[in-house]
Amino acid sequence: MANLRDVYIIGVGQTPCGKFPTQAAHMLGREASWAAIKDSGIHARDIEIGFCGHVYQGMGVGQRTLKDIGLVGQPVINVEGACGSGTLSFWEAWRTIAYGQHDVALAWGVENLSKIMSGGPLPLEEDDIEVALGMSMPGLYAMRAKKYMDEYGVSSETLAKVVVKSRKHAAQNPIAQFRKETTIEQVLNDPLIADPLTRSMCCPVGDASAAAVLVDGDTLKKIKRDTSREPIKVLGCIAQSGGYASPTGLTCDPSENVTRTSQMAYEQAGLGPKDIDVVEIHDAFAIAELIVAEALGFAKKGEGARLVEEERSNYDGEIAINASGGLLSRGHPVGATGLLQTVEIVNQLRGEATGYQVPDAKIGLIETMGGAQPAMDGITCVVSILGK
Amino acid sequence: MSENDERRVLHADFFTENPEPRLIAGKSKSSGNWTFPPYLADPVSFLDDVEHTQLPRNGILHSFTIVRRSLPDFTVPFGLGLIDFPDQKIRVMAQVEADDLEKDLKLGIEVETIVGVVRKAKDGSDIYSYKFRPVK
Repeated sequence: MANLRDVYIIGVGQTPCGKFPTQAAHMLGREASWAAIKDSGIHARDIEIGFCGHVYQGMGVGQRTLKDIGLVGQPVINVEGACGSGTLSFWEAWRTIAYGQHDVALAWGVENLSKIMSGGPLPLEEDDIEVALGMSMPGLYAMRAKKYMDEYGVSSETLAKVVVKSRKHAAQNPIAQFRKETTIEQVLNDPLIADPLTRSMCCPVGDASAAAVLVDGDTLKKIKRDTSREPIKVLGCIAQSGGYASPTGLTCDPSENVTRTSQMAYEQAGLGPKDIDVVEIHDAFAIAELIVAEALGFAKKGEGARLVEEERSNYDGEIAINASGGLLSRGHPVGATGLLQTVEIVNQLRGEATGYQVPDAKIGLIETMGGAQPAMDGITCVVSILGK
Repeated sequence: MSENDERRVLHADFFTENPEPRLIAGKSKSSGNWTFPPYLADPVSFLDDVEHTQLPRNGILHSFTIVRRSLPDFTVPFGLGLIDFPDQKIRVMAQVEADDLEKDLKLGIEVETIVGVVRKAKDGSDIYSYKFRPVK
């Protein structure tokens, strides 16, 4: 592999997560992008290239976004990788800088779901043979949950505890979609969507955008910045498409993909799970937090549940998982999610997560998992590791 | 399918009903590797020597859920399962029928391939395809 240049995040921005049916995707995108550029302290015209992650927002949403903040002419790449679209756009920005093609890049993700649906499962690709037969993301994760619970003796109460923790964290996060705390009883008494997942064990439909400005180390030294804000270094950034899932594994196991991708990211960063202080996990469904925590190396196989049961993954616990509230409570505006996770980790490393700040956070990890395919362990997985 | 079959059928290339319902998988002549549905090239040998071959009728229910909320074309609740064919190292996702979804579906039970209604078309007519049910 070529010698990669150091890459830094020098600015971040985001909108609140919620339902904003009157705001077109590009309106959300321009708000987050402009906030990121202002936060970076550079001039907007320093942006050389943009990468816009989205899934459902149509032709040229990236170009439509940047037009409204004076950025035209430079290349804009619209990036789609299912629920991993946001971090896939971040990976594109990271690699174009790391490999020396550009010095300053903007990555953002955007989604307005409430313009296309009011609730229920995400519309998936009808040409997929399983989707045509009734597969939905809640259904798929429900089957994973059922097998996992049987295999490791985990109860529905534990899944409910994931949601309780998530809501408690989100109560302190000003941009979260759900900020009201809940109880195990309330979660279990919610309507079943696909057994054993109740409604609040599934992420909500929502809209948002989030963005980050990236530069290389040499540019950071010489570029004019109207701020003294501390840059955050990208220590590792790996994107992988799904592989063939083990036919004997756990239910088209996404953890195979997460394990593979995170091991590459740990190696790139020269770090391991014990070095990580704060993590954003792609918990689209409550079971995902348990499975992914294991895949990332924070618990042994089958012991992810204990992290939650023993409250070791609270924001002030031994490994802070989804201090933001994660997808379950902050929200999951599909293409924006990966950048929302990234902005969250930057805020934590800057010590600016007021009310839910992870004590002394120095290293953070972002895991995003997108989509499902027959016989595969997902469509897109991206793992990034950031440090002060 | 019979010649006079007027049913609307989904994924007709991936199953047969004669002489009994079975899925049609792909099997590489060189590697012996199976896929469902058949791929263009075998992922083990990377050769396009894939033969269409029937799977056994019966498989094992690896996991399942009862879907209570879905898109409008699907009548809820319905069973959705992952069915293993261990000898072929294949796992198939499909709907699973049962007289009583909550009582009859259990992890690890033997299920058999059947053909039945899986969803509605936009005009309200039934669409058929492969599905499974517990072996009685």
